[in-house]
Amino acid sequence: MSPMRRLENIVLTVLTLMAALVWIFPLYWGFLTSIRSEENAAGSVSILPDEFQLKAYLDAIFNTKLMLWYVNSIGTATIVTVLVILISMLCAYALSQIRFPGRRLLYGLVLGSFMVPGQTLVVTQFILMKDLNLINTWAGIILPQLIAPIVIIVYKQFFDGVPKEMREAVVLDGGGEYTILFKVFLPLNWGITTAMSIVTFIGVWNAFFWPFLVVTSEDMMTVPVGITQVNDAFGIHYARLMAVAMLAAMPVILAYVIFQRRVTDAIMISSGVKG
Amino acid sequence: MGVRLTNVAKTFGSFHALRDVSMEIPTGSFAVFVGPSGCGKSTLLRMIAGLEETSGGEIVIDDRDVTAVEPAERQVAMVFQNYALYPHLSVFENMAFSLRLARRPKEEVNRRVQEAARILQLGEHLPKKPSQLSGGQRQRVAIGRAIVRQPKVFLFDEPLSNLDAELRVQMRLELTRLHRQLGATMIYVTHDQVEAMTLADLIFVLKGGVVQQAGAPLALYDDPDNRFVAGFIGSPSMNFLPTVIAAREGHRVTLQLEGSEHAFTADLSGQAAVGQAVEIGVRPEHFRIGGAGLPVQVEVAEELGDVSYLYARTASGREIVVQRQGSRDRLDGQTVQLSAEPRHVLVFDGEGRRLR
Ligand SMILES: Nc1ncnc2c1ncn2[C@@H]1O[C@H](COP(=O)(O)OP(=O)(O)OP(=O)(O)O)[C@@H](O)[C@H]1O
Ligand SMILES: [Mg+2]
Repeated sequence: MSPMRRLENIVLTVLTLMAALVWIFPLYWGFLTSIRSEENAAGSVSILPDEFQLKAYLDAIFNTKLMLWYVNSIGTATIVTVLVILISMLCAYALSQIRFPGRRLLYGLVLGSFMVPGQTLVVTQFILMKDLNLINTWAGIILPQLIAPIVIIVYKQFFDGVPKEMREAVVLDGGGEYTILFKVFLPLNWGITTAMSIVTFIGVWNAFFWPFLVVTSEDMMTVPVGITQVNDAFGIHYARLMAVAMLAAMPVILAYVIFQRRVTDAIMISSGVKG
Repeated sequence: MGVRLTNVAKTFGSFHALRDVSMEIPTGSFAVFVGPSGCGKSTLLRMIAGLEETSGGEIVIDDRDVTAVEPAERQVAMVFQNYALYPHLSVFENMAFSLRLARRPKEEVNRRVQEAARILQLGEHLPKKPSQLSGGQRQRVAIGRAIVRQPKVFLFDEPLSNLDAELRVQMRLELTRLHRQLGATMIYVTHDQVEAMTLADLIFVLKGGVVQQAGAPLALYDDPDNRFVAGFIGSPSMNFLPTVIAAREGHRVTLQLEGSEHAFTADLSGQAAVGQAVEIGVRPEHFRIGGAGLPVQVEVAEELGDVSYLYARTASGREIVVQRQGSRDRLDGQTVQLSAEPRHVLVFDGEGRRLR
């Protein structure tokens, strides 16, 4: 390696490290705050741990409904993920493999809905859910989150890429659509399904805006929505708030640590960097 | 009858891919569809498989009308050009797939897969995934998948075109052997006339969605019905030269070459008027060199040992290919005289139809 290349490498490494620091600092600061005492939490400006106590965490666990919100979050995220994957996969399969009139138009609509930001629809969505009497219900939380054009698009591209002889071989072997989809196409690349499940799960776990609007009962809130409730008559408790935030982020962080490669793959696939 | 097609047609929109195709393929024979790219041979094969609907006509397999029958119920098996093996399944499971779908008993699945593996010498590869096999082995697995189903008819769509030349020759022999061993009807698609000649009992030459001629390999070689078949079968291709019928005496006609003193003679029993412009066709291997004949200038001589090919030009600039057996004297740049026996001079009219 020439000295020039080496210098370039060092500079690049320093730059990425700095960027990483900028990203990680708020998390670190939140963690510091969460292990301080409530009196000290808002005032201390030390960037090193000056106190270590778990009172805020105990507080968060026993004096808030965090545990219930956890259960709610895990429940909705699991249900939404399973339904999104199943529905999108079937939809993509039909769009990719079955010839029926209006197929192109339908796919055009899927692509179109991909381009519309979810927030713009929120008012109509809310009115619709209200008319259906679904405000403050699980169905109200789950149904609007089942719309996942990106998952349909990724699956369709995958199915489109399978050589048509593969399908024909199954047909001649006596298999129907069920066999083609579940016994051949999906097993060809489970990575797609894993990736889409991870992306969807994380997305639902982090979802705030819609669950925040549709639920007013504290007992039905998910973790991100619940966080907004962690203050009481005496104002904001920073340490407790940060402890809740840490606990809320924990599953995603853990998932990331465990499935690191798959998560990056998943994000790459769904952002179209890699197909 | 193994397979019978009656007036089968196929259109894609307004495009006629196949017109009025009728043929009979006897049970147990090896039939080959051959023709240039885009002539419709794959389409025809896929229609027999049921993967493509017919736009008209009737398809009968083993005396049963299957025109409207689902592919899986036609008792045909197909081997694809790209093999279309299931990459996530082992060789064993690839071959067992159809039997498992049909819920055959375990013991029977095992027996039939083992039997196919034995015929194709795939035994040691059964636990492997397709990606761990060579091209030739993958091809055999694809064939094994067909054998396991014990179909009435095997369909092959250019199964050897992804293999290198040497392996292709070897697989060609194996296919012939397999055909004898199984005694099943086989239909094979290729654009390679050598493959067609070596494998077939019965060749169907297609062009533009129309069957040009059907017959045994040597019948097509010796007695083509038209200029297209004459030029397509045989390698190197037949030479064609424009001539005029200068004289006729009984069956013997004299064919005067355009722009040359030289004439060929041929035998015609049908109508052919003196003065009619016709084309003659002579195969490279049927030219004689020496004596009185058509003078040509040899430009390049390819010596292959036993055989040599001379690429020559007539005085009027037409290219002629001559095949020579045995002799080794160098003829590059020389002028030689070409002649041919009357029985080797084929005559075609203005539309390319053979005059007999
Ligand atoms: N699904 C389709 N839609 C429209 N046209 C088609 C379709 N399938 C085939 N064709 C046309 O029908 C004609 C015959 O196609 P086919 O695949 O049978 O040719 P082929 O003889 O097998 O050629 P090759 O040697 O290149 O495989 C071609 O002109 C092709 O463009
Ligand atoms: Mg083809």
